[in-house]
Amino acid sequence: MKTWHWLALGILTLISLILEFTLLSGYDSHWWNKIPGFYIIWGFISCILIIYISKWIGYAILFRDEQYYER
Amino acid sequence: MSAEILFSPALILIVGAAVLGVLPQRLRSPFFVLVPMLALAALWIYSDADKLSLVFGTIFAMIASIGGIYAYHIRDTLQQISAMVYAGGAMGVVLAQDYYTLFVFWELMAISSTYLIWANRTTESQEAGMRYLAVHIFGGSLLFAGILMLVSETGSTLITSLPDAYSLSSVLILLGVALNTAIPPLNAWLPDAYPKATITGAVFMSAFTTKSAVFVLMRIFPGWDILIWFGVAMALYGVVYAVLANDIRQILAYHIISQVGYMVAGIGIGTEMALNGTAAHAFSHILYKSLLFMGAGTVLYATGKSKLTELGGIASKMKMAVFLYMIGAFSISGFPLFNGFISKSMIVSAAGESHLEIAMLLLILASVGTFLHTGLKLPYFTWFGESKSDITVGPVPTNMLVAMGFGAFFCTLFGVHPDLLYRFLPFEVTYKPYTVYHLVEMIQILVFTFIGFWILRKKLEGEAKIALDTDWFYRRSAPFVRVVFVKAVAGFFDGSERVVKQLTERTIGVVNGDGSRLEPDMYRILAGVLIVFVVLGFLMVFS
Repeated sequence: MKTWHWLALGILTLISLILEFTLLSGYDSHWWNKIPGFYIIWGFISCILIIYISKWIGYAILFRDEQYYER
Repeated sequence: MSAEILFSPALILIVGAAVLGVLPQRLRSPFFVLVPMLALAALWIYSDADKLSLVFGTIFAMIASIGGIYAYHIRDTLQQISAMVYAGGAMGVVLAQDYYTLFVFWELMAISSTYLIWANRTTESQEAGMRYLAVHIFGGSLLFAGILMLVSETGSTLITSLPDAYSLSSVLILLGVALNTAIPPLNAWLPDAYPKATITGAVFMSAFTTKSAVFVLMRIFPGWDILIWFGVAMALYGVVYAVLANDIRQILAYHIISQVGYMVAGIGIGTEMALNGTAAHAFSHILYKSLLFMGAGTVLYATGKSKLTELGGIASKMKMAVFLYMIGAFSISGFPLFNGFISKSMIVSAAGESHLEIAMLLLILASVGTFLHTGLKLPYFTWFGESKSDITVGPVPTNMLVAMGFGAFFCTLFGVHPDLLYRFLPFEVTYKPYTVYHLVEMIQILVFTFIGFWILRKKLEGEAKIALDTDWFYRRSAPFVRVVFVKAVAGFFDGSERVVKQLTERTIGVVNGDGSRLEPDMYRILAGVLIVFVVLGFLMVFS
């Protein structure tokens, strides 16, 4: 990842936040619309949860070596 | 009526498959691309299909043709015939008006698609194909039992939607259809078989079986509440397993389950918007998922490898494939301007409109998983990242890339012009995908999923392991079943035969008094004549 990649992501986020606080300031169809930047938080938390919980399930129960069914 | 039968799109494909077999080899591939186009024309001109059948039939014909381009270099006639019969079966399912026709095409799909696994000609694919066939025959039996009961209850064979009430017949039909939809725990056949199918066969498989089942669910079970939660669970189930999978086609297979979860949830919600969303998402899904499978197929074709633990660092050698795959990845992840965005968001919004907010949040979580695996993990560890083994990248046939080009074109076309699809959906569409709210939502989710991936990417590296799925129950119990039902039974009969033979020999020895051995043929004619007389006697007395 080069610096300009991060810069582009930063600018995109900034634009989304500006839109959220201007055009969407009155938008209220779900309870989470009151939380500023909710989808930033939800996207990030989801990503972390998916990785950690899945890996945990994998190691705790599901993982076997590749020849498991051949034996 | 006769024109309808003559120009039935399903029949065109099936007769086309028969004709293909007798054509000279050089004509078979162009013929394969042409026939689905004829079926498509017949569908639009001659058939009296309703809008729902039209949407599914159209995408099935389109993908059969694109798949034909992808498989243009194939010289395996039986594989070409199977693929076209398979397409004909799927077309027949979406055009069937009555349960028996539906069932016949349903089974035709199961049988013809099995060959696309066997055609790989490895021990692994032989075994996986047999499991796939056995599971689908089991599902077909459930469906047929349900159909027989339902028809005897209602006296009608016409396919209609059933009220959300559990009776034995509706549950049997639901289970039979759920198996083809790959709803957990009836899902394991899919990630077991698809990665072992041929490179070109997997493209067809990714399109037909689960989506024709989604169609049948939509026809028979719209608004069944249970489907909402099974759909959401399915969307998450696929995501969890995609983290654990190492084979690139298995990652994609688990994401079929995840994506079909959205459709199942949409059917469960059952509002006009949700059903529109389901039809639209099935349409979009077939386009981008086949594109993704085609992309994974080019990797397997060029390198002979399909595991993340053996791939990496080859992007510069297959730039075009990476580029086209990424269009599929952007589409499935719901990037604005691609077709996943215009269909997935419709189902998620329908969940919101029906005040199913938990379901809505979980579906958004699953879509994070989709981008994480299909858009980031798979391409990163396959093409970028560091190379983990000695890989030689061979050339890929141009036709494979051309087919991917068509897929990518349509993914973008419907993303940019959603009206092209929306106008053919079963109900009138008032939904607008390109609103500021949706754009803000997707930008924030995608950017921060990417950041999460980048921070934790080491954790997502492939591991040379398998993750147990529900096929464990029938694969691990197979030796036990064999002992109880095959060896024990055979052993009993062998033993009985031996005992009877020994007893007879001893009896003969005692009777003759000279210990002479049994000559089995000695009394055969006599006994035969005797039996004939007995049978004739019975007939005369009782007739």
